[in-house]
Amino acid sequence: MKFDVHRRDLDPSRASGGPVGIGDPGGVVLTVLGDLDMAGAPGLRQVVVTEVAGGARLVVLDLTAVDFVDSAGLGVVVGALRRLRAHDGDLLVVCPEPRIRRVFEMCDLDRVFTLHGDVDAAAVAAMDGRALA
Amino acid sequence: MSGVPSTGIELAVPPHPEFLQLVRAVIGAAAGAGARAGTGSGTGGESPLDPGRVADLRLVVSEAVTNAIEAQGVVGAPDRILVRCRVDDDQVLVEVVDHGPGFDPDAVPDLPDVETPERLRHESGLGVALMHRLADGAEVESGPDGTTVRLMIRPG
Repeated sequence: MKFDVHRRDLDPSRASGGPVGIGDPGGVVLTVLGDLDMAGAPGLRQVVVTEVAGGARLVVLDLTAVDFVDSAGLGVVVGALRRLRAHDGDLLVVCPEPRIRRVFEMCDLDRVFTLHGDVDAAAVAAMDGRALA
Repeated sequence: MSGVPSTGIELAVPPHPEFLQLVRAVIGAAAGAGARAGTGSGTGGESPLDPGRVADLRLVVSEAVTNAIEAQGVVGAPDRILVRCRVDDDQVLVEVVDHGPGFDPDAVPDLPDVETPERLRHESGLGVALMHRLADGAEVESGPDGTTVRLMIRPG
């Protein structure tokens, strides 16, 4: 699959946990397709930079359709987290594929990110996080 | 690990990220799916690696070639990067040769502990650590004329 990033607003009605994020314009879902490597990394980085500059503070990064990730790809994910936290935002990662999860684990990044099974679970977690904040 | 594999496949790819996917596909096929497809009797034989280890192989090769592309990019060297692969009964050997400026392999820091905030500064430089973690052997020979990385992957 050719590398691409699709963007949509985080749809509160999809979350099973209730009216997540209603009235919150800063929630966005970025769906990554293809191989997240040195070739794809700059494209994703640019999308994240643009979204944060445009006001996004909660980004759900959906890696469900990613075929491959290496350290160049993980670097962008780490960079996205740093960028969002610097703006008092947060990044949630959706990664159900064991092959992709394994790369996070090999770099110990599963202890930095919670890897969610789907976008709904990430949205619920985001809501919980904000309730606690 | 002895020097240059005498049999197997050899790729010479331009030092551009767009070719990473091709290298992974070719090496993955040579070490896994292609060998398992079993083109009959003769030279190749069965792949020693299960799909999980083929995935590890694809990852460490991607890291090595990524480093090679970056190294040559630093000095603008247009030379093609050589990727050699040999599939044996009990292991797969891959050699990646670049014409970058070289570096001191001993100066590459290990990953800081995950519990420290320092960890999040590592947006790059994870590749060498990954190679050492995933490969059964990872040798780096580096000098002013370039760098050779030799990787050995054995069954999980």
